[in-house]
Amino acid sequence: MSDELYAQMKQTVIDGEAEEAAALAQQGLDAGLPPGEILDKGFVKGIEEVGDLFGKGEFFLPELVQGAEAMKAAVAVLQPAIDAAGGARRTLGVAVAGTVAGDIHEIGKTIVCSMLSAAGFTVSDVGCDVPVESFVQKVKETHADLLLLSALLTTTMPNQQKTIEALKAAGLRDSVKVMIGGAPTTRAWADEIGADGYAEDAIEAVVTAKSILGVG
Amino acid sequence: MKDLPTSVLNSRLTLLSDEKCQMIYDAALTIIAEIGMTLPHAKARDILVNGAGATVAANDVVKIPRDAVAAARDTIPEMIHVYDRNGELAMQLGGYNSFFGTGSDLMSIYDFETRERRQSVLADIGRMAHLCDGLPNIDFIMSAAHPHDVAAYASYLESFRAMVSHTTKPMVMTAAGVDDLEVMWKIACELRGGAEELRAKPYFIQYGEPVSPLQHAPEVLDKLLFCADWGIPLIYSPAPIAGATAPITHAGHIVQAVAESLFGVVIHQLRKPGSPLLTGMGPVKLDMNTVQALYNSAEYYTTYLGITEMAKWMDIPNWGYAGTSDSQCVDANAGLDIAELTLLSMQAGSNLNHDIGYLDFGLTGAGESVVITDEVISLNRRTLEGIEVNEETLGLETIAQVGQGGDFLGAKHTKRHVRALQWRPTILNRNTQKNWEADGSPDLTEKAHRKLTDIMASHKPEPLSAEMKAKIDSMVDAFVAAGK
Repeated sequence: MSDELYAQMKQTVIDGEAEEAAALAQQGLDAGLPPGEILDKGFVKGIEEVGDLFGKGEFFLPELVQGAEAMKAAVAVLQPAIDAAGGARRTLGVAVAGTVAGDIHEIGKTIVCSMLSAAGFTVSDVGCDVPVESFVQKVKETHADLLLLSALLTTTMPNQQKTIEALKAAGLRDSVKVMIGGAPTTRAWADEIGADGYAEDAIEAVVTAKSILGVG
Repeated sequence: MKDLPTSVLNSRLTLLSDEKCQMIYDAALTIIAEIGMTLPHAKARDILVNGAGATVAANDVVKIPRDAVAAARDTIPEMIHVYDRNGELAMQLGGYNSFFGTGSDLMSIYDFETRERRQSVLADIGRMAHLCDGLPNIDFIMSAAHPHDVAAYASYLESFRAMVSHTTKPMVMTAAGVDDLEVMWKIACELRGGAEELRAKPYFIQYGEPVSPLQHAPEVLDKLLFCADWGIPLIYSPAPIAGATAPITHAGHIVQAVAESLFGVVIHQLRKPGSPLLTGMGPVKLDMNTVQALYNSAEYYTTYLGITEMAKWMDIPNWGYAGTSDSQCVDANAGLDIAELTLLSMQAGSNLNHDIGYLDFGLTGAGESVVITDEVISLNRRTLEGIEVNEETLGLETIAQVGQGGDFLGAKHTKRHVRALQWRPTILNRNTQKNWEADGSPDLTEKAHRKLTDIMASHKPEPLSAEMKAKIDSMVDAFVAAGK
């Protein structure tokens, strides 16, 4: 019975059906299944499969994004129960991602968020045109392991640097790794501003994130 | 049954007006009716004299009255359906549909393994057929290579055996004469289960050409009559060389080719009205500096578009070109030539396009060229597929849902359509610099070679049944043993 439900949960993530994923998560809780087990035996299997299919070139980006959305919808239902049970969700790491102040280009950052979610990170997407203080606040609040800063304009790239400076000022720099990206940015710029990682596309971003956190 | 790539183009590349087509046509009739052509074939002359009131002068020069040409045009089928070895519909030749295949009888080939240029042999024909069987956008095959290791009289029939054994795709054949053509036809009858079954579902097309200027060879006329009798689709297409065996001007070059083709059309249709036939022209241009007969040049393309347009204007399925290059190897020069000619053929709605894999002025072939052209065809078939416009494709609902500043990656609409809409290359680069370097920094030729190697190793063409193979072997072996 529960095996069948887990299989449905896996499938709903592969199908990218967020509402159905949320409903199945609730159904699992109502049936008295342990929330951590629902996640690990059901939904996580689905997102692993999605990531695998994408890696093999058999899945397209919208399918990956919608798989990640379904995963997120299930986690939203399960998280309170996991917290109540005193357990922490197993994750590769908590990431905060956004496009820096003055810049409203967000699609690249959104793709990176989806790919990180699909890879097993817990991602908090804080959107675009994000003030330096908001990044700092979010890192503090989520105990983030990783902060990803996107900039698509040469004029907004300095805000990546300012955010890193602000993390130092708030005493958070040692507890969080920082990655930067965006078309005009380079590895040299990342080094110059003291970022821990740089990636030129979303696929490389996942590889880099895992590597600098030493996970996966 | 798979969907055939029929054309949806609303407008075509056109260089001639209706008035210009009429002028070229009228001029061609003048050649046929007033200048005449050499016809050293008694039976063909009788057909024209008795059936069309043609006159025969000294030296077998025959003139056909103008109205006989119009009558012949009335009976030619506008569409020819060609079927594969298993009897599945494979090509609909006519209208603006474009189908693609290799060329025939190349003297040299770039070896699939050593990649060195060498004289071609019989085994190359089987290898090329095998490769084409594994390339989804190659619709038909020709021999591709001339078998230097086979006696000349048997070379075409041995080529046929190698081709039929390595692919199910339909074929365009050349033949030494009507004797080996008859064996090919008998084999095709065996595959279909009878002569009438083959007539209903043609498996191979026969190639024949007039000899420019204004001559028709006896052995070619034998084949023309045989094809008319048995409903084997016939290509009757000259290859006049501009400035050498035809006028150097575009219009003069075209008018001579139209006249030479139509002259054969009249004989063919009088012999058996309604028998399938294609016309065309090898619009060969002689480079007057290097004295090379070119396959790829601006003036070649112009004349080619003109002759193709004339075929459309006359409502006769046409024989065309694709995937050729005058480069000496598969390089950027070849890529440019291949892409341009292939796209022009599609834009002109040219029907049966051959010579894919040709390099070196039609002397050398390369499998990598065929692989690259397959990709070019795939790209352009998709490009010219058309745009579906309806409530679903206009996407107003999803635009409203996403609203201002959102993204469409998460939209159901995107997911519903992404698979059907994304064209995926097999060899064109989509790698970043880092990944490309990790892959060995391959250029397109190298990628094509890798794909060729993979197809030869992993793709298995459907074999002939043991019984059919034995029948074919006995027919071919008997012909070869009889000698010449």
